[in-house]
Amino acid sequence: MLSAAEFSHSRPFVPEAATEAHGVAPKSKHAKWAIEFERISKFFGAHRVLVDLDLQVQPGEKVTLIGPSGSGKTTVLRLAMTLEKPTGGDIRIFGESILFDSAGKPLSTSQEARIRRRCGMVFQQFNLFPHLTVLQNLVLAPTTVLRQSKEQAENTALEYLRMVGLEGKVHAYPAQLSGGQQQRIAIARALILKPEILLLDEITSALDPELAGEVLDVVRGVAHETKVTLLIVTHEMRFAREVSDRIAVFDAGRIIEQGSPDKIFSYPECDRTRAFLQSVLNH
Amino acid sequence: MTWDWSYAVEIVPNLMVGVWYTILVTLASSAIALIGGLLLAILEIASTRLGRTFVRFWLELARGVPILILLYFTFYVLPQLGITIPAIPIGIGVLGVVYAAYCSEVYRGSLITIPTELRDACVALNLSQYVTWQRVLVPLMIKRAVPALLNYVLGLFRETAMLFAIGVPVLMGEAQVAGNESFRFLEPFTLAGIIYMAMNLPFLYLLSRYKDKHA
Amino acid sequence: MEAVLEYWPVLIQGLWVTVWVSSCIILGAALGAIMLGVLRVSRTGVIRVLSMVFIECIRGPSALVLLFWVFYALPLLPGMPQLSPLAAAILVLALDGAVYGAEIVRAGIEAVNRGQADACHALGLSRFQSFTKVVLPQALSQIVPAFGSLARGMIKWTSIVSFIGVQDILYVANNVRAQTFETTIVFCLLAVLYWILTVLCGLVFRELEQVLPLNRALRAARAPSAYAPAGAAQ
Repeated sequence: MLSAAEFSHSRPFVPEAATEAHGVAPKSKHAKWAIEFERISKFFGAHRVLVDLDLQVQPGEKVTLIGPSGSGKTTVLRLAMTLEKPTGGDIRIFGESILFDSAGKPLSTSQEARIRRRCGMVFQQFNLFPHLTVLQNLVLAPTTVLRQSKEQAENTALEYLRMVGLEGKVHAYPAQLSGGQQQRIAIARALILKPEILLLDEITSALDPELAGEVLDVVRGVAHETKVTLLIVTHEMRFAREVSDRIAVFDAGRIIEQGSPDKIFSYPECDRTRAFLQSVLNH
Repeated sequence: MTWDWSYAVEIVPNLMVGVWYTILVTLASSAIALIGGLLLAILEIASTRLGRTFVRFWLELARGVPILILLYFTFYVLPQLGITIPAIPIGIGVLGVVYAAYCSEVYRGSLITIPTELRDACVALNLSQYVTWQRVLVPLMIKRAVPALLNYVLGLFRETAMLFAIGVPVLMGEAQVAGNESFRFLEPFTLAGIIYMAMNLPFLYLLSRYKDKHA
Repeated sequence: MEAVLEYWPVLIQGLWVTVWVSSCIILGAALGAIMLGVLRVSRTGVIRVLSMVFIECIRGPSALVLLFWVFYALPLLPGMPQLSPLAAAILVLALDGAVYGAEIVRAGIEAVNRGQADACHALGLSRFQSFTKVVLPQALSQIVPAFGSLARGMIKWTSIVSFIGVQDILYVANNVRAQTFETTIVFCLLAVLYWILTVLCGLVFRELEQVLPLNRALRAARAPSAYAPAGAAQ
């Protein structure tokens, strides 16, 4: 396992333009950004969750969103996965809008499905399918979405199970596994579709502290060994520091500060960032 | 044969008599069902094995035997035993008894969901068994049971049509009599259907209001 | 008693009609309930409202009134068919079962954790795939027991079909009563027969519950098995 220091320094630093909270993104049609949020706002009823959010993530970059609960981090991931539609603004994945076609009309279901296939997501509550075995959980999407043969999908599934260290649980049901094991299965289930962008939504928050480690180890491995773009929401500050290229601090639906982990954790600029870090680190 | 307005208007007074009896039967048998159900529930929870077996048998009878059979049974068998009761009380009685069994289940279910801490609190306050039941458990039980009970009263109302089989002049019975007299079935049955549907509305209104308030 | 039992061939025939009608309407209601239940939770508001109105219109007037209307009044409208008693009975009772079942299906679907649909979406499954492969199989664990008691009730509903001349057990038994004057015995026999049918129906549904995918999974999790218990080191 790589040390934390090696990890963060083995990544190129992010260009200055992208680290500014409201930096103007260059409008490039060729995919400069893996994912790009442009002036995104999101209301739930009268409640404003996101305010004119701009965020760009380079291909292969690992970005962690931190901030107090209710500051809109999870909504960002859900918007990227098209689980929610923004109230205003546009989101592009590798240059393609996940909301509108080139004529500005809303995307059809099939167009949206094609684009969102480049994203995968792991949830706080695992959301494994409780009525299916581990193997069935893993092959469901490959066989129905990618139309792979059952045999091929199962072989691939076994590889991924080995990767997360759970090849012995092939025929177990989710309810027979610990939370940590379930979450590792959920990661394997997302990775098996080979997403270019992986969204991790508080994947250790529902776990007992002693089980969080095994899940984070899997993510470290993924971050290290693949070129997948990671967008992470977490409360594990040490993990965020090790694995991220960039940290974005959320507060009340805005990014108030972003930069390299060293900068954010050692030299935070905003008072609110400092207050937030103090509250979580002293915890 | 098409719709005849003058005939339709002509039978409306008869149908209204049916509406009146339907309301009467519904009110009377729901009263039996709601109160009898509560008593059955208390009997089952608070009593001996004998009481419990009795309630179970009653429930099984209501669940397993069609109302129509029970109606016929009481209507034809009782006179053979020398007991003559007019059709309307029989109808009210049978519906009430069957739905009392259903309602007792609802009460029992809502009692189970009352947290045990509350009973502990009653014990801690040195309330007598009687006061505990009368002032705490039963009122709470009823309050929680209201939506489900309302649904059963609605179901009971819908089944009152069945009473035409023993000659009770409920709306369904009146419609059939009107149809048989003139050999025109379109108007009476259509009107009856529409009136029955309209009579559902107060129930649906109550149910939706309850949902809004408590959901 | 013996006088009644002499009529056993016709009684069996009547019982067979009751069983047959019951099976048809329960099956029909199950299919109809799933379709209506899905419409009931549709994302389109108009479909939701229309399906709700349809449900209330069917169950509002009660099965009996609807049956008489379909059998006696419907054929009088221009262009409407005269259904045979059996067809009218099955149609009306199945429809009535479907609208009651639809509410059971809706509740079952709504009880499945939202996260399951989210996970399907994230994995790229279409709404249809996510419903048939993930949401419905789980919802069935809640739907089947409730539908089982509806089905028990539906067997009792079939007693009204004799009114329009379907020769079910009640119809046949009434004839036997007219010929033997054994009123008490005939009705006791009827009560027992219906009770047995509903109990059998309950047993069938309990067996059905055993094979539901989610129940199988939860049973496996409860039973001590070859797999290491939760929390064991991997």
